[in-house]
Amino acid sequence: MTEYAVRITRLSYSYPDGVRALEAVDLDVRVGERVAIVGPSGAGKSTLLLHLNGVLSGSGMVRIMGQALEGSDLREVRKHVGLVFQDPHDQLFCPTVFDDVAFGPLSLGVPQGEVSQRVDRALHEVGLDLSMRLRSSHHLSLGECKRVAIATVLAMEPEILALDEPSSNLDPRNRRHLIEVIGNLPVTLLLATHDLEMVLALCSRAVVMDRGRVWADGETRRLFSDRKLMEEHGLEVPLSLRTAVVG
Amino acid sequence: MKHNFIDRYADLDSPLHQLDARTKLVGFTALIISVLAIRPGSTFVFFAFFFLTAIFMGISQVPLGYILGRSLVLLPFVLLASLARPWRGGIDFAFLSALIMRSVLSLIILVLLTNTTRFAEMMRGLRKLGCPQILTLNLGFLYRYVFVLTEEVLRMRQARDCRSVGRAPAKVELKILGSMLGTLLVRSFERAERLYQAMLSRGYSGDFPVYGSRHFGWRDLVFIVALVPFVLIAFRA
Repeated sequence: MTEYAVRITRLSYSYPDGVRALEAVDLDVRVGERVAIVGPSGAGKSTLLLHLNGVLSGSGMVRIMGQALEGSDLREVRKHVGLVFQDPHDQLFCPTVFDDVAFGPLSLGVPQGEVSQRVDRALHEVGLDLSMRLRSSHHLSLGECKRVAIATVLAMEPEILALDEPSSNLDPRNRRHLIEVIGNLPVTLLLATHDLEMVLALCSRAVVMDRGRVWADGETRRLFSDRKLMEEHGLEVPLSLRTAVVG
Repeated sequence: MKHNFIDRYADLDSPLHQLDARTKLVGFTALIISVLAIRPGSTFVFFAFFFLTAIFMGISQVPLGYILGRSLVLLPFVLLASLARPWRGGIDFAFLSALIMRSVLSLIILVLLTNTTRFAEMMRGLRKLGCPQILTLNLGFLYRYVFVLTEEVLRMRQARDCRSVGRAPAKVELKILGSMLGTLLVRSFERAERLYQAMLSRGYSGDFPVYGSRHFGWRDLVFIVALVPFVLIAFRA
């Protein structure tokens, strides 16, 4: 068993139009750890996540569960890393919820008999009713969509889960529910977001990214209380930490 | 937002809904072809087909008004198209009535097919009948994203309305419309890109997997056998 789930060394990436999205990024995540990647919009968070399963590949080294991405079987890697996109409409492309959740396992060659069980289990894990299986994604509310999107990845039983802005556009109740759901998942977690309160609830470690670089990496509360650091990188000290300091 | 597209009543649970999608695709297509083969003037055969579709409409539990409404929508176009035929010596009533009956019957059958079969099932059925994957895949995406696109258009229109006072000259309106269409195209293109990334992330490698569904059963057999005499009389009449 490898100690590190993710090891990224000096990863750089430019988009085809020349925009430099990542600059010599280093990041190690241990198995079972929950790490938040925070930073302003356009910091390179999503681009970094897309490197975890080889959808994008820049210069530098990415190792997943001890295995270098370059030259390895990407399907094998995609079994380990579950990526949930920000807009659930991008993630849910099948006619029904069942088809969407079953897509991953079927693509990985899981036998049909087991697929149905996996779909049920994944929907159960994100707190959705099984009667939802035959609904169309465009008939769901946004909160439900986000949960189905996570289920589509859970059905692949990944060891590493990478979520891109999971709480964006959610109302407080759905957001709270989603945080509970994510908190109960037994996986290594990478969370790209600027919802700092959610990070405080879920992750003990945070990484501050801005303009494609990693600027700070450490214990969440310590980083988030550092007003200078936060404001320099388009963030601010979360309200809950501010009141704690004043009180 | 709740959407209802072509398969509005496909979630009902009638004997017709329970049939395998392949059965319905083959059966209803055979019926439509038969309808087109009925010769003008064979009133009895037309009545036989109206009788058959009436039975189907009864079984299907789809509201009658909905089926008829949908079936009559195209009638003006059919009548217009019938003018294309050179008329010699006055109106040929047998031909005209056959044309109307054929189009109405075909549309009733089509509406029945789409409203007793979920779109996903239909695509699956087409796939299993040997329809190329690229076609079913594209239809599937079209069905999935037409709502997302419609909402995007509505939002863009609201944004435009919020910033425009009164009516602009037609030339300006056209220009705005053009740039809106352009934006929509670019947005769709970007979405397609992200969608493909999402597919890759979930292990897509060129083959869109299909999960097994209903099987061909005794109901399907009864359905097909019951259609045979109708197909026969249509072609012999």
